[in-house]
Amino acid sequence: MGQLGKDPQHNTFSLWQMTSIITSTLIGVGILTLPRTTTEKMLEAGWLAPILGSIFAFFVIWLIAVLSRRFPGLTFIQYSPIVWGGHEHSRLGFWLSLPWILIFIGVLFVSTAITSRIFGEVVVTAVLQDTPLEVIIVSMFVLAVFLCLHELDTLARVNEILFPLILFPVLFIAFASFQKAEWNNILPLIRVPLKTAIMGSFETSYSFHGYEIMLIFFAFAHGDTGKVKAGFYGIGISVFVYTLIVLAGIVVFGYEELQKVTWPTLELVKTTQVPGLILERLESAFLAVWVAAVFTTVANGYYALIYSLRQLLKKGMLFQRIASIVLVIPLFFVAIRPQNIVEIFNVTTFLGYTTVWISVVSPLIHWLIMLYRDRGRRTEKRSDAHG
Amino acid sequence: MSQFWKAWEKRKASLRAAVLDQHANKSMESVPDTILSSSLEENIALLEKQLGKSDDLVVRRFTVKNGTEAAILFIDGMVDRNVVSEYIIRFMTSTSVTYEKTAVNELESTDRLRQTIRNILSGNAVLVLEGQNKVFLNNTRGWERRGVEEPKTESVVRGPRDGFAETLCVNSALIRSRLKDPNLRLKHFVVGQRTQTDIYVTYIEGIAHPPIVQEICRRIEHINIDAILESGYIEQMIQDSRWSPFPQIQNTERPDKVVANLLEGKVAILVDGTPFALVAPAVFSQFYQSPEDYYERFYIATFIRMIRGASMIIALLLPSLYIAFSSFHPEMIPSRLVIAMAAGRSTVPFPSVMEALIMEVAIEILREASVRLPGPIGPTIGIVGALVVGEAAVSAGLVSPVMVIIVALTTIGSFATPSYSAAIAIRMLRFPLMLLAGMFGLYGIMLFIIIILVHLSSLKSFGVPYMTPVSPINLAAMRDMVIRMPFKWLKRRPTMFHPQDEIRKEGRQ
Repeated sequence: MGQLGKDPQHNTFSLWQMTSIITSTLIGVGILTLPRTTTEKMLEAGWLAPILGSIFAFFVIWLIAVLSRRFPGLTFIQYSPIVWGGHEHSRLGFWLSLPWILIFIGVLFVSTAITSRIFGEVVVTAVLQDTPLEVIIVSMFVLAVFLCLHELDTLARVNEILFPLILFPVLFIAFASFQKAEWNNILPLIRVPLKTAIMGSFETSYSFHGYEIMLIFFAFAHGDTGKVKAGFYGIGISVFVYTLIVLAGIVVFGYEELQKVTWPTLELVKTTQVPGLILERLESAFLAVWVAAVFTTVANGYYALIYSLRQLLKKGMLFQRIASIVLVIPLFFVAIRPQNIVEIFNVTTFLGYTTVWISVVSPLIHWLIMLYRDRGRRTEKRSDAHG
Repeated sequence: MSQFWKAWEKRKASLRAAVLDQHANKSMESVPDTILSSSLEENIALLEKQLGKSDDLVVRRFTVKNGTEAAILFIDGMVDRNVVSEYIIRFMTSTSVTYEKTAVNELESTDRLRQTIRNILSGNAVLVLEGQNKVFLNNTRGWERRGVEEPKTESVVRGPRDGFAETLCVNSALIRSRLKDPNLRLKHFVVGQRTQTDIYVTYIEGIAHPPIVQEICRRIEHINIDAILESGYIEQMIQDSRWSPFPQIQNTERPDKVVANLLEGKVAILVDGTPFALVAPAVFSQFYQSPEDYYERFYIATFIRMIRGASMIIALLLPSLYIAFSSFHPEMIPSRLVIAMAAGRSTVPFPSVMEALIMEVAIEILREASVRLPGPIGPTIGIVGALVVGEAAVSAGLVSPVMVIIVALTTIGSFATPSYSAAIAIRMLRFPLMLLAGMFGLYGIMLFIIIILVHLSSLKSFGVPYMTPVSPINLAAMRDMVIRMPFKWLKRRPTMFHPQDEIRKEGRQ
């Protein structure tokens, strides 16, 4: 392909591309259960939970962006050894950073598997009753592998092109269901004690996990300026969508009823009627369009996973292609491991919990060590200047 | 592992090169590039020997007025005999001027054998003189060619009626006559060891991005093939991804389209012997644009572009949506419609996937048959196929009436695309979509759409991402994608092709 492919303008992510990567990774299967999980503790004020819970996500994405700004052009896999060992002790740095990298990869692995499993459950219960669950899961993995066969800039463009396809149906459903809204359902505005509210919001921050893939993808940003902005836009858009969907759920059903349905957002779609439209019962159509949202979550996670492995082992494109095909097999077995929906929800709760901690603790520790090192270097330089 | 792979690739490449070298030896390179002698007889003998005493080689001997023996050599049928006899032979036998001044324009001289042979083969008359160790090449090309006619594949309601012809110089003149820009550049290449086809790479210096021009020239220079019979050969040899169903280089018969593309900073490739010029780099959206969009006022153009977009979606999705709805999601269709559909389908013995596949294959056969048949019979096949067979199939209860409507709409939708090569890609992708719709319903359709989108996003045409301006998003270029803004807002050239001179026009209007 020659020189044209190496043009830096072509192979880096623009602000808009990073925003769409973050938003489309965040919006996935979580939104199908969100109205139920948020109202569990917060009751009528459930719609406040995404807003409060996002504070946490904003902080973490800021931390990730700051780290990435400190090491421009390097991914987490590349800069973690530098943080731990510095440039002089690269071997030590590698071994110290390995646990963090492995945890990161492991979390991506499990969450990718579980996301596709949940989506498979939804499709099998709601639309394709006769199709085996495994077929749906495998078809999702096929799409993810197909993306992994391509270069990194393809991922950015795919996210960009699917972004409206993800955003539009949710907004449509939310606004269309406001026709049947019973606005009294959100009153009284604040009834729960503050401690419960904080606990509830904290649990909602699980639904924001997914932004940790930016530990990898921020390395390919155009410049340094856009990273924090992209992170904030990306999470901001997801917060808006989440709040709107939870609000729609509460005003249409009321929080008591929401506790009794497995997939409240899907119920919301079923109640939606659009006058003048040729089609009725939109849930099949919604789920079909929703494939795009789940695909971006699964495929971005899987791509980040494969790319991390590729960088960790310092391999090339051929390795990425082979690894993406081979790793599907263990991924599939992880996905079908939970026996039933209750078990899946237990896993997701646990996963959300660990992800939140890991995605905070890991960047925070890296950041602190980096600060310490930078300070040390500065004093060293100063003493050099004096001496 | 990868090293082994590389070594294997290398070995394959060297083998391929060796085979091509062998072929090359048999072609023009086999002619020794020697210097001609000063003897007339020797030179004639040498030329005749190189051309294998071919019977259509005419050697006409005569004496110039000042007594020098001379001969003129040309291939029968490729030269304008009138020019040869009137302006060369009669002129030289009756006047005693210096030899260089025959009354033919474009006179060159050479002392190289290879160039002489090349000129004879491309229709020039070669003048050989006793005592001169060089020959004179007279441009006397003049064989029968089709003239400039209306393009058959891309017709417009409003717009110029002239299309490219098979002659390279006519085609380049059609561009020149529209674009009187001194910065228009035509770079000449000769491709094909046996056909020795002439190619012009055309661009406007100061607008086209130099790396793109260089890359196109580099790829053309690396073409290693013995024959170029149509620009499609060039297209397939220089495109970025050979596995893609989508065309990555546009072909057109219309000079006005080529000029418009040159002005956007693209590069056109003209090939001798075909009326189809190539335009590169190409993005997906331009296959759904017609030059007419700029000749009509912008409301009309925008409306027509939206219609084309809708027809593309119909051509791609309609049959698979029918399959998905009728066999997986009947609850989505309003009850009255579903009853009507079920009544039509009640006698049909096949599942709807088979019904749709049979009908779509039948319509493809009809389309191909009507293209291949000679002019007057073609439409008859269409009428017999569409009306008679369709009607009979419905009344025999083999196909449901809704299916006939859907197949008809799909076909008409696919013909609304201005570009044939893009339309055929869409028509092809319809079949896997139908199969997936038969397996997974709407879910299957969406799976395949995502695969298509990932593939489209991964494509690049000479470094320009194929899906621009949608992704990477380019708001300025979007003014001229689905919507065609008035010229007032199209002051800048689309930036995705990296034009050097971005401003199309200055000042306010």
